[in-house]
Amino acid sequence: MMTKQVRYEALVKALHGDLYRYAYWLTHEKQVAEDLVQETFLRAWRALDSLKDEKAAKSWLITILRRENARRFERKRFDMSEYEEASITDTKSVTTEQELENHWLREKIAQLEPEYSEPLVLQVLGGFSGEDIATMLDLNKNTVMTRLFRARNQLKEALEAEPVKRGIYNG
Amino acid sequence: MDDLQFRRAIYADPNNQDADTIAAQQDDASKKQFAQDICKLDEKIKQALQIPVPDDLCHKLILRQTLASHQVQKRKTRVHLALAASVAIVGGLMLNFMQFSSAYTNLGDYALAHVYHEQGSFANNATNQVTLASLNQKMAAFDGNFSQPLGKLLFADYCRFDGMKSLHLVYQGKTSPVTVFVVPKNEQLRFSTAFNDEKLFGSSIEFIKSNIIVVADKNESLGQWQQSISETVSWSI
Repeated sequence: MMTKQVRYEALVKALHGDLYRYAYWLTHEKQVAEDLVQETFLRAWRALDSLKDEKAAKSWLITILRRENARRFERKRFDMSEYEEASITDTKSVTTEQELENHWLREKIAQLEPEYSEPLVLQVLGGFSGEDIATMLDLNKNTVMTRLFRARNQLKEALEAEPVKRGIYNG
Repeated sequence: MDDLQFRRAIYADPNNQDADTIAAQQDDASKKQFAQDICKLDEKIKQALQIPVPDDLCHKLILRQTLASHQVQKRKTRVHLALAASVAIVGGLMLNFMQFSSAYTNLGDYALAHVYHEQGSFANNATNQVTLASLNQKMAAFDGNFSQPLGKLLFADYCRFDGMKSLHLVYQGKTSPVTVFVVPKNEQLRFSTAFNDEKLFGSSIEFIKSNIIVVADKNESLGQWQQSISETVSWSI
């Protein structure tokens, strides 16, 4: 009993950040992401004995989270309104150049189609290989690579299309 | 590796460590520049993706799990309690059943067992004798009466015959005591007219409200005992 508790707490401490971020990029809403992570870890707790390989913990949790997210849509139909830029805003005051850039890029990432943003998040944040992502998303590897290519390509194009003095007009 | 292929590979995975892509970068400075640009972009993407995680999320997760497992434990203890209660009830019923139900299914078996159990208490040549009057006094409880003594009555008292109040009479026999039981009728024990084992044999006579059972050793004539009982006993209503 105690060892299970210890394992669980270790798992939470090590991976809750990654999982929350992943959930956020999946849902674009902080509260929903938090709920999703809570549900995921609760399920993980119940099924913790089935996790044999600690190295596989991250992809295991992500699989649970994706299933949980899918369930969310089964449970109730959300009004699938178009993504609004306003809802993605960072509450932190935008001060430094770096944060300005982050803020802007976040909007661009959020505007990506989910099928492009999801592999990108998994690759950049999760550090998963193309094969891993393919298994997790139940796609073949070439499809994953193509989507990654398109995701970056779109971001790069957006970045290049942006006027150099972006952001200034805010202040 | 042509340019398009290279670009695709770098776009798909900027940290691509394939021998082909590394070789292509070394051969061509513009490709190297491109790869570096994309790496920079990736760094920016990474920065952007690192949205702040709520500080208390970690604690919330642990708290929620602790509460959930506490609930489960509470449910478990309730189940355990119910289980223990069930076991106790079953145990009680078993005890009840074993204590108050008879181990014998018919009159004969019980009578034999009873006789064997008390065999040592009676000697055939004992001197004490019970009078007919005191026997009939006891027989009054069964609404019965003996008109004549059946023989030398050594002992007469109430006893428990499979939980029923009955009269236990011991007469002097030819070689060993003859036991006569007056037992009220009961559905629990099956009536058996004649029964025996290696040493003893017995027979039962059925009357309206009671049975009279005679158990004796094989030197006695049971028929004679039965006949004299039938002739001397009378029942009041």
